[in-house]
Amino acid sequence: MLEFIKVTKRYSESGDALAEVSFNLAAGEMAFITGHSGAGKSTLLRLVPAIERPTRGQIVFDGRPVHDVPMRDIPFLRRKLGLIFQDYRLLKDRTVFDNVALPLIIAGHNPLDVGRRVRAALDKVGLLRKEKRYPQGLSGGEQQRVGIARAIVHKPPMILADEPTGNLDPELSAEIMNLFREFNSVGVTLLVATHDLGLVKRLGCRTLRLNQGRLIEGG
Amino acid sequence: MALKRKNKVRRPTARTASPERSGPGLLNRMEAYFALHGETFKDSFRRLRQTPLSSTLTVLVIAIALTLPMSFHALIGNARQAVAALESTTEMSLFLKPSLPNEAGRKLAERLKSHPQIADTTLITKEDGLKDLKAYSGFGDALKFLETNPLPAVVGITPKASLTDAMALQGLLDELRQLPEADFVQFDTEWLSKLRALLAIADRCIAVFSVLLGLGVLVIVGNTIRLELQHRREEIAVAKLMGATDRFIRRPFLYSGFCYAFLGAVLAWVLVNLLLLLIRGPAVQLAELYGSPYRLAFLGLPETELLMGASVVLGIAGAWAVVAYHLRTLHPE
Repeated sequence: MLEFIKVTKRYSESGDALAEVSFNLAAGEMAFITGHSGAGKSTLLRLVPAIERPTRGQIVFDGRPVHDVPMRDIPFLRRKLGLIFQDYRLLKDRTVFDNVALPLIIAGHNPLDVGRRVRAALDKVGLLRKEKRYPQGLSGGEQQRVGIARAIVHKPPMILADEPTGNLDPELSAEIMNLFREFNSVGVTLLVATHDLGLVKRLGCRTLRLNQGRLIEGG
Repeated sequence: MALKRKNKVRRPTARTASPERSGPGLLNRMEAYFALHGETFKDSFRRLRQTPLSSTLTVLVIAIALTLPMSFHALIGNARQAVAALESTTEMSLFLKPSLPNEAGRKLAERLKSHPQIADTTLITKEDGLKDLKAYSGFGDALKFLETNPLPAVVGITPKASLTDAMALQGLLDELRQLPEADFVQFDTEWLSKLRALLAIADRCIAVFSVLLGLGVLVIVGNTIRLELQHRREEIAVAKLMGATDRFIRRPFLYSGFCYAFLGAVLAWVLVNLLLLLIRGPAVQLAELYGSPYRLAFLGLPETELLMGASVVLGIAGAWAVVAYHLRTLHPE
């Protein structure tokens, strides 16, 4: 599903954010990326949806090279991914429903279809009753679950989550991780960056450990 | 279990969505496309109403920028029409040689009536002329002492309405001058020519103003859209991360530009006509002073189309330019 081949990302000011990173993630696999802050976790996740381009190396997603994807194809690459962020990145002036519907509307789904799919996604994260609320009226855990519903509503084959539990207490974090396990059990590939090692240990998934831009474990 | 729950949450709106509808059929896609446009338009308009003050100001500034050239244009157009109307109502005065009797004038007037370029003729006899002179000149008492009537008979000639250009009028004038009965012919068109020249200058000025103020509309809309873009930065970034194309992001802003420009044009239309309504009374008086039947015209359909069309094109262009620039500089991070 996702393959990194000797990927290096260098920002001009500092050294290598990622150095010669190679790994292969099979379809239906769930893996964590761990490491200290600044180890390159976010950078790695940003390379897949072409938010940033690698300096060297190749990235193959879903059988297609991503490292040199043309600008005009980037939107269609991103539609095959579900992105989850530490700070949720929900739109404050839109209801929960509208937030979750965004990927479907962007992809040009029939409006009759949108309602059904959005409610199915909200149902999965247990927020069906809050579709008319605004994000600011929700707790952190609920906001992140809205973010997750938004990431899965268009049924992407792969989900990328960057510190999804970074702002949540342990109990809520466990809840979120259970959700991820559920998605994984129906065949979704997941790559989750986190520094919560306890959580990773408990779940017992494959772990890619980064240290100063190098992959030191799990490659 | 998830499947069972899913069926339960189906709302009446979703019931019509049969399985094949969710497929990528052309009809389905088109339906989705138009629905999206409709939604985007409504959303753009809703945003306009959410910020009533700044929206009103923008619309007002656009309206003023459009009202200035448009009302001048309407006034000049009216003046041009009025001048044309004046020309057609202007009579030529053919003064006969003083020695000729009224009878000769009557015969000439009859004869000229059948001239292809002349619509009508009237004879002012020597006696009528003297009566008019006594009545209007203020020399009434002095004229009493005249032993003989020194005035010639005059044939008033109205050229055909179709005869409007200066060359043709001049041709007729020359022809009349060469009549053996003619002493001289009076036809004062010089001031009309001067007026027309002035109107041409005004027209040119308005063209320049129109371009400048049109650019103004472009900039106003552009600036308003720029502020809106800044306000919706996060939304755009998120949409880009979710796979939105530039076209998708641009769309609501183009609709906003359209709304501003259209509302501005409508307001300008009202203002221009209001202005014309205000000066209608004095204009009627002025026209009557010149003996013209001309009445002030409001904005016609072609002018209205021009106003609306130009404004909308400028509004959309302004929005487009700003969004295109920002999309190139904006990255999701």
